[in-house]
Amino acid sequence: MAEVILKHIKKIYPNIESKKKKKGEPEKKKNNLLVTEEGVLAVQDFNLEIKDKEFIVLVGPSGCGKSTTLRMVAGLESISGGDLLIDGKQVNDVEPKDRDIAMVFQNYALYPHMTVRGNMEYPLKLKKMDPNEIKRRVEEAAEILGITQYLDRKPKALSGGQRQRVAIGRAIVRDPKVLLMDEPLSNLDAKLRNQMRAEIIKLRQRIDATFIYVTHDQTEAMTLGDRIVIMKDGVVLQIGTPQEVFDHPINTFVAGFIGMPQMNMFDAELQEAGGKYSVKIGDVAIPVSEDKQARLQKNGVKSQPITLGIRPEHITLAQEGEPCLTGTISVCEMMGSAVHLHADAYGKDTIMIIQTMNLTDEEKNGISIGNKIDFTFNGNMVHIFGKDGANLES
Amino acid sequence: MNKKNAWSKNEKVFLGLLIPILVLFFCFNTLPLIKGFYYGLTNFRGYGNYDFVGLRNFIEVFQDSRVGHSYLFTFKYAFVMTIAVNLISLVLALGLNSKIRGKNALRGAYFVPNILGGLVVGYIFSFIFTYILPAIGEAAGIEFLSNSILGSTKWAWVAIVIVGAWQGIAMNTIIYISGLQTVPEDVYEAGMLDGSTGWRKFKDITLPLIMPFITINLVLCMKNAMMVFDQIMALTKGGPSQSTESISYLIYNNGMSGGQFGFQSANAFIFFVVIVAISLFQTTVLGKKEEQL
Repeated sequence: MAEVILKHIKKIYPNIESKKKKKGEPEKKKNNLLVTEEGVLAVQDFNLEIKDKEFIVLVGPSGCGKSTTLRMVAGLESISGGDLLIDGKQVNDVEPKDRDIAMVFQNYALYPHMTVRGNMEYPLKLKKMDPNEIKRRVEEAAEILGITQYLDRKPKALSGGQRQRVAIGRAIVRDPKVLLMDEPLSNLDAKLRNQMRAEIIKLRQRIDATFIYVTHDQTEAMTLGDRIVIMKDGVVLQIGTPQEVFDHPINTFVAGFIGMPQMNMFDAELQEAGGKYSVKIGDVAIPVSEDKQARLQKNGVKSQPITLGIRPEHITLAQEGEPCLTGTISVCEMMGSAVHLHADAYGKDTIMIIQTMNLTDEEKNGISIGNKIDFTFNGNMVHIFGKDGANLES
Repeated sequence: MNKKNAWSKNEKVFLGLLIPILVLFFCFNTLPLIKGFYYGLTNFRGYGNYDFVGLRNFIEVFQDSRVGHSYLFTFKYAFVMTIAVNLISLVLALGLNSKIRGKNALRGAYFVPNILGGLVVGYIFSFIFTYILPAIGEAAGIEFLSNSILGSTKWAWVAIVIVGAWQGIAMNTIIYISGLQTVPEDVYEAGMLDGSTGWRKFKDITLPLIMPFITINLVLCMKNAMMVFDQIMALTKGGPSQSTESISYLIYNNGMSGGQFGFQSANAFIFFVVIVAISLFQTTVLGKKEEQL
């Protein structure tokens, strides 16, 4: 049970290039990370207050700094600046073993020469815990994770999913204040990943720990996290509940990253006339909803070229006489209850999810590759981004 | 049909690669061994006529005090060498595998002794032990160093160990470095979080995970030390008073110039069996402790 507070945390990797850099030279980028006189900024000004027992998910593409941040919390990576507090105590320079945390690694990191029992007992033995208590804890954790029958096996005799359970078991026997997980499911196949995801949700109900979970999979982030931290190039872009980041993405990156299939982005025009806003793609203008009108007015947004984001599930087939966009179907994926269509429209590959239960037979027959398709969207469900990528409503 | 043809083509390549090696191995390894065993059954002196004497030479090897002494010396040398070389090279490997500056240059430097020939190194050290160290000892007033260690029946073997170790450490260190690099970093990190640091980290994580490399090094080092020859040839020639006479040196010396070709061939054959037995024992015992990652 612990609060974890990250205040202005940063990580700088010194590099040769930065040493050569002369003072006054403009800052440049390396692999999209900012390079300053000090070095490469892998994590910049990370601020987050994690509440006791909260499940936080750090999500972002490879190289965004999420694992580095987690490793700084674990003590496996030094902190270049800022404060890290666990339970109100600054732990920047505290040894990993003294932080009362446990970590589950992507590649399990089990001790290959020890049995499952040995792996789970090891951290407790190092703490010189009473052997009876060690036995009780190991057996209890094995019971929770369903690995009792494997206790006397070596890790090499286990499958990937079983190994990951052992890794989780080794972490939870210590009853840590904070449980860190670094992409724990990414080595598992899709079916096992779904199963383990559900088990992590159940596990979370059973143990009193604060969770910090790193993943690049937005589905994991959305399903597991109380709050999600979305990172890119070492910078925190947005922090919010899964619903918040889905409904109100702060910029085009977050909008594209969260949600599957990805949000469609159109080059469009925001038109303002007499305090009323509408969005125009091609020749089609669709008014935006009242609450969006209010937010745009509040922000003093003027008519301008915009990037219009529409999620695939918010696109519908146009009814007779309804203002609509037209595209040509290029890919048609029948999923049973819905059909995922890719259509070439206004120079973009537009993805739409059409529920089959609402379609007439005539409409179903019209959905085939090469056919024209008329579609529309609700003005309430669009996302309006400026050309710099920022959400104009926020 | 095509598949069958492809398979026979593979077989041809396989045999084309295998047969020359097999012929070479037979000519330079198996044949001498068989001939050695054959001469061991004779009273051949290295020249002239000879007669078959049955297993007499093989029996007399076990009764000869000089052979017995050379076995004792060789085992003592091999045991001390194996322990010393492996301990020092493991410590060096741990150092050279850590995050230190210039470790690549240092790895190169530590490997240099391995490139040099045994005799060359032996003669250089012979000069050091005979002239340089006594000179330093005299100048500094250290009585222990004033006389050449090579002239002492009690300590000359230590000089051979020093030279052998200086040369042997290089290869062992490289093998240990390779071994240490196979231990996944995240296993160490898991250990750090569990509280396994310092000696516990070495004992509980590093050592069990590099066991296959310890086996290789112990077997190779023991085998090389058992066959010690170059260093003795260059440093002591088995002396003083035959105190540093190894089995290999005795076989060479008495076999080639002592008129005991048949007898020493029997000795060599028995020595071969001893080395094979020791190597098999080591690999079997240590193999049980190895862990697959």
